[in-house]
Formats: sequence, C-alpha cells, structure tokens
Amino acid sequence: MNEWQIAAAVLIAALVPCGWVCLRASFAEGVVGVQLAGTLAALALLVLAEGEARQPFADLAVVLAVLSFAGTLVFLRFLERQR
Amino acid sequence: MSGRDAMVFGLLGLGVSIELVACLGVAAMHDVYDRLHYVAPSVLGALLIVAAVWVREGPSMISLKATLLGAFLLIASPALAHGTARAARLSERGDWRAQVGDEIEVEEP
Repeated sequence: MNEWQIAAAVLIAALVPCGWVCLRASFAEGVVGVQLAGTLAALALLVLAEGEARQPFADLAVVLAVLSFAGTLVFLRFLERQR
Repeated sequence: MSGRDAMVFGLLGLGVSIELVACLGVAAMHDVYDRLHYVAPSVLGALLIVAAVWVREGPSMISLKATLLGAFLLIASPALAHGTARAARLSERGDWRAQVGDEIEVEEP
C-alpha cells in the first residue's frame, strides 16, 4: 500500500464514528454526522483516485460532494419541519 | 526521499489528521451546536489534501478536479453549518431569532 491508499483507508475508517452519531444521537445531530461523512467520503474517493493513478475516478469525488450537499439540504428541510 | 515527497507526506498526513480530529470531535460532543463546531476543521483538512495533490501532480486534470472539490467544500460547508444550526433552532423553538428569555439583548422591531 502506498501513502495515498493508507490515507484513504484512514478516511474510510473515520466514517464509522459519523455512522455511530447518526445511529445513536438525535435527528439534528445525525444531520451533522451526515454532513461530515459526505466530506470524508468525497476526500477518500479523491485520495483513492490519486493512489490508484486513475484520474477519472476523481470525478466521483466531485459528484459525491455536490450530491451530499443537496442531500443534506433535504434533511435540513425535514429537520425544520420537525417540532 | 526528495523535498517534494516530504512536503506531500506532510500535507497529506496533516490533512488526514485534521479530518480525524473533526470526526472524533463530532463523535465526542453531546449537543448539536457543539458537534457543528467540529465540522469546520474538515474543510481545512480537505484544503491540505488538495494541496498535497497539487504538490505531487503539478498542474494536471486531477489537480483541477481536486481544486474544484476543495473550492466547493469551502463554499458549501459553512452554508450547511449555518443551515443546520438554523434548522436545529427552528425545530427546538419555532423561530431562529433571539427571544426575550435568551439573555440576549433583543431589538424591538
């Protein structure tokens, strides 16, 4: 494994605490976990693309970041309506 | 190991470490607003990782995509943090603005 693959593995492992927050905490706190998980996953894909020397894979990271942003906005709308 | 490799290692390690700190902070805090504070450093970590890609590859297509990703995160993450805090306050109190009982000086409209 080169250093980029190790970095990607660490970033993917960092998704576990975010998932734990989503599962165990309140809805609002889970949205925070989803927000951070989106950033971590996008970075993991970018680092993997660099580590595997496959530049087109970096497109996935950009697309995931945009979709994660849109998805979190939808969860925020649900959160606003929840009382 | 050349100087450029050392710089790549440093930037990548620092970026991933900041992401880990952000992740552990989000997991360790007990309130939505406290957790939100730890999302902000993740953008700094992302920018360091983008810088590591730039140092390793120079001007190339993957560097351009990494820059695009970093710029998007730089813009989107604060907006999402603001939106999350606003939505959490709306769901708690029904209004995001400061109320009279909040011990904050409220201007009368």
